[in-house]
Amino acid sequence: MAEEHERPEHANQAGIGRRTLLRWVVGVGAFSSLATLALVLGTVKPQQTSQRDEKIKAGDVLVFALGPNKGDPITSTNASASRPAGIVIVPEPGQHKGEPIIPTSVGLGDVTLAFPRGKEMHDNLIILIHLKKSRFVPPTHLNWLPDGFVAYSAICTHLGCTVGYSYEPMPGAGVPYPHIHCPCHQGMYNDMAGAEVVSGPPPRPVPQLPLALNAKGELVADGPFDGPVGPLPGGR
Amino acid sequence: MQRQGLGWFEERLGWSGFREKFLDKAFPMHPSFFLGEIALFSFVILVITGIYLLFSYEPSAQIITVGGRSFPAAYHSVTQIDKQPFGLIVRQVHHWAAHLMIAVVILHLLRVFFTGAFKKPREINWVIGILLLLITVMAGFTGYLLPYDAFSVTASGIGYQIAASIPWIGVALAKFVFAGQFPAIGTIPRFFGYHVVIIPLLLIGLIGLHLLVMIKQKHTEPSSSRGRVAPGRLLGIPLWPQQTSLMVMLFLLMTGGLLLIASIFPVHPIELYGPPGPQTPTVKPDWYFLWVFGLLKLIPGWLEIHLGGTVLDPEVIGGILLPSLLILLIFLVPFLNRTRERQNYLEPVTKHPLRTSIGTGVLMLLLTLSAAAYQEVLDISLAIFRLAAVLLPLLVGIATYLAIRLFRGWRSKTIKRAREPLSSDR
Ligand code: HEM
Ligand code: FES
Repeated sequence: MAEEHERPEHANQAGIGRRTLLRWVVGVGAFSSLATLALVLGTVKPQQTSQRDEKIKAGDVLVFALGPNKGDPITSTNASASRPAGIVIVPEPGQHKGEPIIPTSVGLGDVTLAFPRGKEMHDNLIILIHLKKSRFVPPTHLNWLPDGFVAYSAICTHLGCTVGYSYEPMPGAGVPYPHIHCPCHQGMYNDMAGAEVVSGPPPRPVPQLPLALNAKGELVADGPFDGPVGPLPGGR
Repeated sequence: MQRQGLGWFEERLGWSGFREKFLDKAFPMHPSFFLGEIALFSFVILVITGIYLLFSYEPSAQIITVGGRSFPAAYHSVTQIDKQPFGLIVRQVHHWAAHLMIAVVILHLLRVFFTGAFKKPREINWVIGILLLLITVMAGFTGYLLPYDAFSVTASGIGYQIAASIPWIGVALAKFVFAGQFPAIGTIPRFFGYHVVIIPLLLIGLIGLHLLVMIKQKHTEPSSSRGRVAPGRLLGIPLWPQQTSLMVMLFLLMTGGLLLIASIFPVHPIELYGPPGPQTPTVKPDWYFLWVFGLLKLIPGWLEIHLGGTVLDPEVIGGILLPSLLILLIFLVPFLNRTRERQNYLEPVTKHPLRTSIGTGVLMLLLTLSAAAYQEVLDISLAIFRLAAVLLPLLVGIATYLAIRLFRGWRSKTIKRAREPLSSDR
C-alpha cells in the first residue's frame, strides 16, 4: 500500500512523461489523419470524359460545326458574297445574303466554324474563312489555301474563348479591315496575314491548319495545326 | 405574465440566465449597422430558395435528347424549373439575393473600414469578415456555372484558364478544382458539391463565429453615445423584443423587395442564352469580377515577369497576382494600425484623413478598372484608360485628403468661436 503512494509521478520506465506521450500520440494521430486525407483526396480523379482526345490528322474531312448543315462536309464554291456589317458570332453560310442557305458550301467572303469529322471536341474547333487567294500575305502559309480557303484554330490563345469574325473594320483599335475577332476581350487577329495579333491581349496567333481538297471536292485537313492550340499552361 | 406561460420551460431549462445574457443584449443604433444583418438575411433567403431549387435541379452535364433536341441535363432541368408555377420566380430571387449578398458584404466591409471599427480588439472579426466575402464570391462563381448555359460555361471557362495559367501548379490545381480540363463532364457534379454543401457549411460556420466574436466583444457605438451610459456599458435597444421586431421587419421587407425586383427585372434568362455551343457569346462577368476583367484588358500583352525559370504571363499578373495582393493588403489593414487602446466608438471619417483617402482612392481604382471592362463599348482607347487607372485614384485620394483637411480647419474654427463666450464666462 505504502509503496503505491511512493510511486513517482512519471512511473514510465522509458522516462517519457504522460504529457509528452499524449502529445506524441495526438501529433502522430493528427499527422496520419491528414496524410490519409491527402491520399484520399488525391484519388478524387476527374470522371472519364466523353470527349475522345484526338488530334486533327491529314485526311480528316471538315464538317460544319453548327447551323442547319451541322455535320455536313464543306465544299468549295466561288460564289461571291456581299459582305454584311458587324461582328458575326454565329456565322452560318449564306445566312446573311438573304438567299436560301447554300447547303454544303462556303462562298467567297463567307466564314464558318468547322470540326474535323468524328473528332468534334472543343480544341479541334476551326474557323474557316473563304477569300480571294491573292489577298493573303505571309506569314500565312500560302500553299495551304486551296481555292482561297484558310483555316485557323478557333480557340483564342488568350483565355480559350471561341473566336468570331468581324466584317466590320475597327480603325479605332488600329484594325481597318475585317478580321478574326474574339468576343471575350476583343482580341483581333489578321486572318490575311497568318492570324497575327493586331489588337488586344492574345499572346500569339491562332495556329493555321493546312488544307486540301479531296477527290469529292470536300475540304480536308492536310496535317495538324502548325502550333499549340489555345492558351499555354502556366509558366509555359 | 410571460414568466408564467414559460414557467414550465423555466423549471426544466432554467433559461432566465440565458434571457439576461442574450435576449437583453443591447444593440446600438445606427443605420449602417443593418448592413451586416442584410447580408445575413440574404444568406437565409439564399438557403431557402436554394433548397427549393435542389428539389428539381439535376447536377449533370451529360447530353440528353428531349423532343429531338440535345441539351446538357443541368441546363434542361433549369428550363424545367422555370416552367414550374413558382420555379422561375424562386430562381430569380436566388440570383438577385446572391447579388444583394455580395453587394451588402462589400458595403459592410466599407462601413467597418471607414469608421475604424476593425481596430483592436476587433482584428479577428475583420479577418473572418474578409474570408466571408471571399467565400461568398466563390458561392456566386460556383452557382453561376450550375445552369450550364452558354454564358455560364464561357465565364467558368475563363476562370479555368486563369487558374491554369499559374506557373508550376496551375494546370494540376485547375484540373482538381474543375474535375478535369474544362468543360469536363465531372465539373458540374463537383461544382454542385461546392455550391450546395461545402460553401454553405463554411459560410454557416464562419457567420456563427463572426457573430459569437461580436457578442463577446460588444458592438462599437456611434460616438454620439459617448458618455451617456456608465463606462463598460452599451447604449442601445435590447435584442428582445425591440431589436427582434426590427429584424423581422427587415427580413420581410427584404423578401418582399427581392420578389418585386425578381418579378420586374429578369436576371440570367437561360432560355435566351441557350445551351453551350461551339461559339462564344459576348459576355461580361458579373459586376463583382469586372475590375479583374478590366485589369486583364489594361495589362499589355507583352508584360511578363521572368522568375526562377518560369514565366508569369499577363493573365497571372492581372488575374491572380494583383488581386491577391489587394486582398492581402485588405487582410492586413487592422495590423497596420499601431494604436494600443481598445476602440469602442465609431470614428468619424474625418478623424483619419490618410485612411479615408486611401479608401476612396482604392474604390476609385476599382471603379475605373470596372469601367475599363466596358472600354470597347465606351469607345475610349486603352491608353487613356491606363492613364486614368493611375491618375484618377491618386486624384480622388488627394482630393479627399485636402477636403478633410479643409473641413477640419473650418470646423475647429467654428467650434472655437462657439466656445469663446463660454470661456469668458468662467
Ligand atoms: C445553402 C445554400 C444554397 C443552396 C442550397 C443553393 C442551391 C443552388 C442550386 C441548386 C442552384 C442551381 C439552380 C439554378 O441555377 O437556378 C443554384 C444556383 C445559383 N446560386 Fe445557389 N445555393 C445556395 C447558396 C448560394 C449563395 C450563398 C450564393 C451567392 C452569394 C448563390 C448563388 C447562386 C447563383 C448566382 C446561381 C445561378 C442562378 C441562376 O441560374 O440564375 N447560392 N444555387
Ligand atoms: S479569350 Fe480571346 S481575347 Fe481573351
